[in-house]
Amino acid sequence: MTARGFWPALPALILLLVFFLFPVVRMLGFSVEAGTLDWYAKALGEGLYLRVFWNTFEIALLVTLVCLLLGYPLGYLMATTTPGWATFGFICVLLPLWTSVLVRTYAWMVLLGRNGVLNRTLMESGLTTDPLPLLHNFTGVLIGMVHVLLPYMVLPIYGAVRRVDPAIPAAAAGLGASSARIFWRIYLPLTLNGIFAGSVLVFVLSLGFFITPALLGGGRVMMIAVLIEQQVRETLNWPFAAALSAVLLVFTFAVYALAQRFTQPEATR
Amino acid sequence: MDIKRPHRRHVLSLLGGAAAVGVSGRAFAQAEPPKPAQIVVNHSGGSMGTAMRKAFFNGFEKKYGIRVVETSPVDFGKLRAMVDSGNVEWDLTEIGGQDAIRASKMNLLDKVDPKVVDRSKYPPTAQNPNVFASSVYTTIIGYRTDVFKGGTHPKSWAEWWDVKKFPGARSMRNHPTDNLEFALIADGVPKDKVYPIDFDRAFKKLDQIKPHVTAWWSTGQQPAQLLLDKEVVLATGWNGRFYDVIKKGGPIEIEWNEGALKQGSFAIPRGAKNPYWANKMLAELAVPQQQAVYASELGYPGLNLESLNFVDAKVKPYLPTAYLDKQFWISDEWYAENGAKAQELWNAWMLKKA
Repeated sequence: MTARGFWPALPALILLLVFFLFPVVRMLGFSVEAGTLDWYAKALGEGLYLRVFWNTFEIALLVTLVCLLLGYPLGYLMATTTPGWATFGFICVLLPLWTSVLVRTYAWMVLLGRNGVLNRTLMESGLTTDPLPLLHNFTGVLIGMVHVLLPYMVLPIYGAVRRVDPAIPAAAAGLGASSARIFWRIYLPLTLNGIFAGSVLVFVLSLGFFITPALLGGGRVMMIAVLIEQQVRETLNWPFAAALSAVLLVFTFAVYALAQRFTQPEATR
Repeated sequence: MDIKRPHRRHVLSLLGGAAAVGVSGRAFAQAEPPKPAQIVVNHSGGSMGTAMRKAFFNGFEKKYGIRVVETSPVDFGKLRAMVDSGNVEWDLTEIGGQDAIRASKMNLLDKVDPKVVDRSKYPPTAQNPNVFASSVYTTIIGYRTDVFKGGTHPKSWAEWWDVKKFPGARSMRNHPTDNLEFALIADGVPKDKVYPIDFDRAFKKLDQIKPHVTAWWSTGQQPAQLLLDKEVVLATGWNGRFYDVIKKGGPIEIEWNEGALKQGSFAIPRGAKNPYWANKMLAELAVPQQQAVYASELGYPGLNLESLNFVDAKVKPYLPTAYLDKQFWISDEWYAENGAKAQELWNAWMLKKA
């Protein structure tokens, strides 16, 4: 960053400093309020919390993967199709973003329930005899979270595909490369930073979910945000809440660093 | 040593106080602080807010010319943060039963002024100096009337646990409160002897019902919705939420036996900007006729024992205060001490593979 480029960013940096960095530091302060690391020992030493941390990362990873598998073709399609279809795609992707998460979660409950729209259609058409267990379990949580987070995957990938010079795949095709080869050798490496950005966004946002798992998981799917919220609002054990948050923060940074190591070298080549 | 000498101002106000006790009416009118443009009342929102506006807020605004600004949701963490930081936005806030006790202990609440708020018709259990008991609600059994016809539904927690005689999917709250008590009662503990709770015994009993609980609910409207959607045929839930569906003709009924009673409460945060007017609002909440209006809307009656006299005969059977003997009170004191432990054990139990 040049010195001249720095000044326009100053207001934003000050904003981050005051409203983001300062609260985070204060929160970390809470966790060692008593002058000991006892709350960290509890967060990392008790089976319950480790299990929930693990659950959280598992779910976040799975949601990211499913979003990637669904989002890449969609982003690619939107970036390469006619402007008319692209606009239509944008509307479909962005429209849900304007609806509250709670409303969307309830909508899924209507669709996925035992007597929900989907199960009734399946049973009336004779495809299934018993209702599929789509709600109040892990499947429900996965569907709900992917739906909420898909736009965050599609948009960066769309941007990345748009930046690929169309002359390159055209040249490759002219030289006889198959479409699979064009994808693996051209699109994938050139859009890796889009994949990275989308995946990190989805992964990090997943970690903090709690309304969707609570409602669609029927209480069985426990994520760390639920436990932190309990400590903040019900138990009022803020030092422990801060310790749990700090552990989550460190884990998240670790995952971020790891992901960056795997994707960034190619992207900046 | 720092011995505080009485300042002249203090002495004067003491005298003023004495005068107020002596010739209450006139001295009070003089002591009344200036009217603010508005006061802020924080509550759970939703249909409760609508009912409160109809029963209490409109009347208050008319009487005093002070606008009532409503905020939600109820948040103990936020209350503490407000009082700690000295920036108290709420003049009055709803607060959960055990939270009210803990908030009193943490010195987060102002006293309810007995000179302004008349609680002479309240039961002695509802006379906490810092906490105003605004209403009663209960967690009871809701069932589908098309599945359990003519009184064939489970009528006790022992029967709730009897999945052979009463088959079908159930829903219970994703929380230790209520469920620990229900489990003990189902296991044969008399309902007035559940405290202190025997965790081992309660969770062992809960193990038996776990596979039959389709959904553990976490928000108040879920149980009624789960019943309406036929996701489950039996659900524990708050009486007002079932009442709302029954009022609209939904195929649901309530079994009141062995329900878990709780108090809805309001309190004035310490450092509130208009404590005097917050007390005036509490006085409004204590009026039995207005409590009857509120109870008819939501099914949550007030604790002014006279209020039942002003309720329509059709509404009375849906108020938990009509069945106080069949039910038991959740011990806020026990949860204030053991709530964190109970929550942790509950989380661990939920994570356990059934």
